[in-house]
Amino acid sequence: MKNRYFSIALILILALGLTSAFAKTRSITCSGSTTVLPIAQATAEAFMDKHPDVNISIRGGGSGVGVAALQNGTVQIANSSRPMKSKEISQAKSKGINPTPYAIALDGIAIVVHDSNPVKNLSIAQIRDIYTGKIKNWKEVGGPNLPIVAISRDVASGTFEVFNEKALSGSKVTASAQLLASNNAVASAVGSTPGGIGYIGLGYLTGQIKVVSANGVTPSVKTVQEGSYPLSRKLYMYTNGKAKGDVNSYIAFIQSEEGQKIVEAQGFIALK
Amino acid sequence: MKKLLTITLLGLILVPALLNSVDLKISGEMWNRWTLQNGMIPADTSMTVYNSGITKNFFSLERGYVGLEAKFSDTIKGRFTVDIFSTDLIKDGAGLKLKYAYVDFGDLIPVPDLTTTVGLQKVYFGSIYDWDYSLIGKAPADGYKFANSADYGISLNGHIPQGWGQYQLGVYNGEGYKNYGANLKDNIDPAFLANLRLTPIAGLTLGGSVMTNGSERQFKLSDATENSSYNTQLLADGLVRAAFGPLDIWAEYLYKDVTYAPAFSAKNYAANCLSVFPTLKLKSLIGADIDLTARYERWDETQLPDSKKKNLLNAWTGGLNYNLMPDDTGNTAMQLQLNYERKDYDESVSGSDFANGKKDTDTVMLQFKWRFSASVK
Repeated sequence: MKNRYFSIALILILALGLTSAFAKTRSITCSGSTTVLPIAQATAEAFMDKHPDVNISIRGGGSGVGVAALQNGTVQIANSSRPMKSKEISQAKSKGINPTPYAIALDGIAIVVHDSNPVKNLSIAQIRDIYTGKIKNWKEVGGPNLPIVAISRDVASGTFEVFNEKALSGSKVTASAQLLASNNAVASAVGSTPGGIGYIGLGYLTGQIKVVSANGVTPSVKTVQEGSYPLSRKLYMYTNGKAKGDVNSYIAFIQSEEGQKIVEAQGFIALK
Repeated sequence: MKKLLTITLLGLILVPALLNSVDLKISGEMWNRWTLQNGMIPADTSMTVYNSGITKNFFSLERGYVGLEAKFSDTIKGRFTVDIFSTDLIKDGAGLKLKYAYVDFGDLIPVPDLTTTVGLQKVYFGSIYDWDYSLIGKAPADGYKFANSADYGISLNGHIPQGWGQYQLGVYNGEGYKNYGANLKDNIDPAFLANLRLTPIAGLTLGGSVMTNGSERQFKLSDATENSSYNTQLLADGLVRAAFGPLDIWAEYLYKDVTYAPAFSAKNYAANCLSVFPTLKLKSLIGADIDLTARYERWDETQLPDSKKKNLLNAWTGGLNYNLMPDDTGNTAMQLQLNYERKDYDESVSGSDFANGKKDTDTVMLQFKWRFSASVK
């Protein structure tokens, strides 16, 4: 009797497994950085046009979310606007996941103010003092007598982490700062706040906001590619081990000349 | 009840204060458990004849963790976790333990990826600190009381660049977080810990821990006589984890050497434990988020000087975890666990306290865990 129950259970498990295996379509799943999101979406659309049998599913959530999802094996690609940390790599490896980075684009984190603000340049030290609450009025940095409204990204975002590391050197953002969940939200808030200052990926610049240079360097293709702009970074896709199959084809497409043109069309900077 | 009142008041004071000054995350985790145990029951008052029968059958809230994480800056954050648990055994209906209360300083020592932790914190010994309770039972080092899962102290927690692993150095009270009052061992020697984990390749983890601890003081304060209970302990652990595809196997070896003062050296003994803990994740095979778990433990205390108490335990556990409500990262908000555990003492080498299956048990546990986490600001 025991053998009979065991056989039935085994058949059920195998049947479920086979059903699951046959039900699989060619799909790619990725999640993570909201900065990388528009690149992933635009390139995915172009890639799926060329490969109609492949479905690419993309979610945001922030770089930390993408990395955790890769660690848990729930996505094939983690989009990240920062390199993975030693702790994250170690955690992933202990679970049998081998995070492998692919640079897909360059980005400059632009410091933006309201279009009416005459300030054209801020030093990194001034940016840090503004975001830590030491500088509270634009007149302290050569601007009008207007209270500064600091607008920041939430701490889960990779954009925040890079800004925090490169501009704030780990200092705490002032409690009075507004914390917003996306680049678009920051751009919109700065555009509607005369005393506002924010930081966003270059791909999110709009007409209502103005870019100020940092340490005298304006974010541009040239300054970001040559690394002279102090708030520049690489954007990554991480896979478990060397990318294979459709995932490899998709990433290779993004890195190709055609893919890099899409990167540029989204307002980011090509790798070369 | 006083404790509950105290913590409520503290919460009412601390939470608004923290809300005004720092980024705050609140989290919770509840373990609702049904335990059914079959063991041996004395047949009469002579305590010489035992019959098999149900020894435990109850529902309980085994853990009720509620935690606050306050981020003071990018490099400084604090964690405060209480465990509010409830079983019929507790007079006031609920018990309360402070589980964690520490601050992490990320930049106190100028070494990359090194954090200094101060306060009531995790003990980084063996698999205790990253035991995720895929089985309902505790990590072996915790269950067999090699070390406590949390203790008061200071530790350095580092990560090796490029994800090659992690290391910890710590000094603790050595008493853990549960002992109080008369339960305390009057311990004046701190416990020292060193732990290393290496991940040479993805999927393979090699680790080892060494800890020294002590119990009681050597000479009594009352009359300066030598204390027969005073001892020092050398605790060691080695572990291997192999996680490839759906299979994740942990193997851990624990060793304890207990040395008493020379006048009482007859009490010296050593003990060891070997455990193997495989998990098969079925999600990639059948789609459903179900894990099959198992564990074998061999706990050897046959060198105990007390011939009645020496024992060799073989314990087998089999289980199933059904994971529910995954978030965007794949972590689940709910989990249903079913475990069966058989504890069997080897009577050929165990003492009379373990004769005739007196301590052997069969236990079924069904546990429903749910957890939440939210950023307040």
